[in-house]
Amino acid sequence: MKQDYFSANNIKYIDYKDIEILKKFLNPNGKIMNHKRTGVTAKNQRQLTSAVKRARFLGLLPFVAK
Amino acid sequence: MPKAEIKEEIEVADARVYELGYLLVPTITDENIGAVYTNLKDLIQDFGGAIIIDEMPKMTPLNYSMLKVVSNIRNKFNNAYFGWIKFEMDTEKVLELKKKLDLDPNLIRFLIIKTVRENTIATKRFVGRDTYRKRPAYTKREGAVPVEINKEEIDKEIDALAAV
Repeated sequence: MKQDYFSANNIKYIDYKDIEILKKFLNPNGKIMNHKRTGVTAKNQRQLTSAVKRARFLGLLPFVAK
Repeated sequence: MPKAEIKEEIEVADARVYELGYLLVPTITDENIGAVYTNLKDLIQDFGGAIIIDEMPKMTPLNYSMLKVVSNIRNKFNNAYFGWIKFEMDTEKVLELKKKLDLDPNLIRFLIIKTVRENTIATKRFVGRDTYRKRPAYTKREGAVPVEINKEEIDKEIDALAAV
């Protein structure tokens, strides 16, 4: 993913309920990927991080996946 | 009169858009879930909130088991009803709402966040199209390799075929 995924798809606000989108940015262990791998802008990477953490709190995403 | 007007303006200025995401206990039956859901909406309206969008709680599997202590008994949950409500409310009232929700025995967990009025869910619009786009890119690369064959060789082969 060279270009920023969210600006390419015109997503202005990253929602914690969009699990299918958030899953693209997790590695097989459930960790959030590095911004160098995601290619997301710094601003969107911060939004993405908080969205993933909210989804984890509500059990929509795992903290650790085996 | 002017005083009342000023007060109203302040109230409007202090209002913010929030979202309440919640997990309900799976022991609630399907018949009662509607009642619990409307109770939550009524509670928000009691605190002066205006509901913008909401979704019915749906049964979802949790990615890890959650604990909730009800009357000194530890309950473990692997499933829950997940629902959310987007609403506009005074900044001060939200804290009161949080205190009230803390005491609710039907909720396993909840989350109140600041958000925007516009629809923020993008999954339905983009996920399908994105995966569809990726496939032709791979086939093009595979197809591009045989183009680099010598034209002379092809001409010879055609000539040979034509001669037969």
